[in-house]
Amino acid sequence: MVVFALFIISKAGGLIYNREFHTGLAKLTSNDYLMLAGSFHGMHAITKQLCPVMPQPPNPTSAAAVLAPSPFSGRPSGLEVLETSHFRMQCFQTLTGTKFLLFTEPQQPNIDSMIRKIYELYADYVMKNPFYTVEMPIRCEKFDRNLDGFVKVRS
Amino acid sequence: MVLYSFYIFDRHTECIYSRRWTPRPASSSSKTTRPQSGSSITSNGDGGPTAGRRGMSHADDEKLIFGLVFSLRNMVQKLGGEDDLFLAYRTGEYKLHYYETPTRMKFVMLTDTKQNHLRNYLHQIWANLYVEFVVKNPLAPVEHPGGIGVANEMFEKGLDAFIVAVLPA
Repeated sequence: MVVFALFIISKAGGLIYNREFHTGLAKLTSNDYLMLAGSFHGMHAITKQLCPVMPQPPNPTSAAAVLAPSPFSGRPSGLEVLETSHFRMQCFQTLTGTKFLLFTEPQQPNIDSMIRKIYELYADYVMKNPFYTVEMPIRCEKFDRNLDGFVKVRS
Repeated sequence: MVLYSFYIFDRHTECIYSRRWTPRPASSSSKTTRPQSGSSITSNGDGGPTAGRRGMSHADDEKLIFGLVFSLRNMVQKLGGEDDLFLAYRTGEYKLHYYETPTRMKFVMLTDTKQNHLRNYLHQIWANLYVEFVVKNPLAPVEHPGGIGVANEMFEKGLDAFIVAVLPA
């Protein structure tokens, strides 16, 4: 099981975190990574527009709708998984619009739970860091270390 | 399997063939309230959540899809190397499958999310239907500006039969 890289894209489309765990993806300059993140932000919005069927809004009487009403439930979700012959990219968008992109091998199971765990690490070590300014590049040593540990254990 | 739509783009970025199996969601504030055949299939909650799509025509959709697959393919080749192939992407609601011929024609199909990527099937559509009935047609032009010569009877029939017989149910 190989995890190639993790990108975090802010809600404005800027690349705020970029880490490579394993070689396999092409090496690009940091400018290229910034451009990719920006264009992906736009493509993600277009994939929402192209939705041929609107998602069904959840039954308003169901338990989930009553306990956690969300204005996002009836909207199209946008790109979630991108498949290519060399890698697979999972995109997880938080409710605040931050996107986590995880690049793995093409046949990788359980990326969903993995990306949620990474989101948890982000919440614990980045958002709770008093010296971190939101929407700025992430430079938190503890986040780096825990992320490394988490990914290494899994591979 | 639920099929939503199918598109062919030529190497000049033009959509030369398109086919849809579901009517597009009626936008809530469209100026023309023409009745859509089979609009009962969609039943999209009175068009409430479709507000983001107002004023978009089929042609706009085609342009968006072309731009999207073009950019995604470039991104994939940048990250994975020149020989990496963009196969498909999935959202919560639909899945887009992609196949590109060596002559840069692009075949795009939108289906529901439960499919594996359909690259092989799109390749078959190209090899068994497009080449046979469009390229080998002596009356068809070499290029197909505006889709001339693509949507002929044989191709349409072949596509229908292919979808019924070959695509996974």
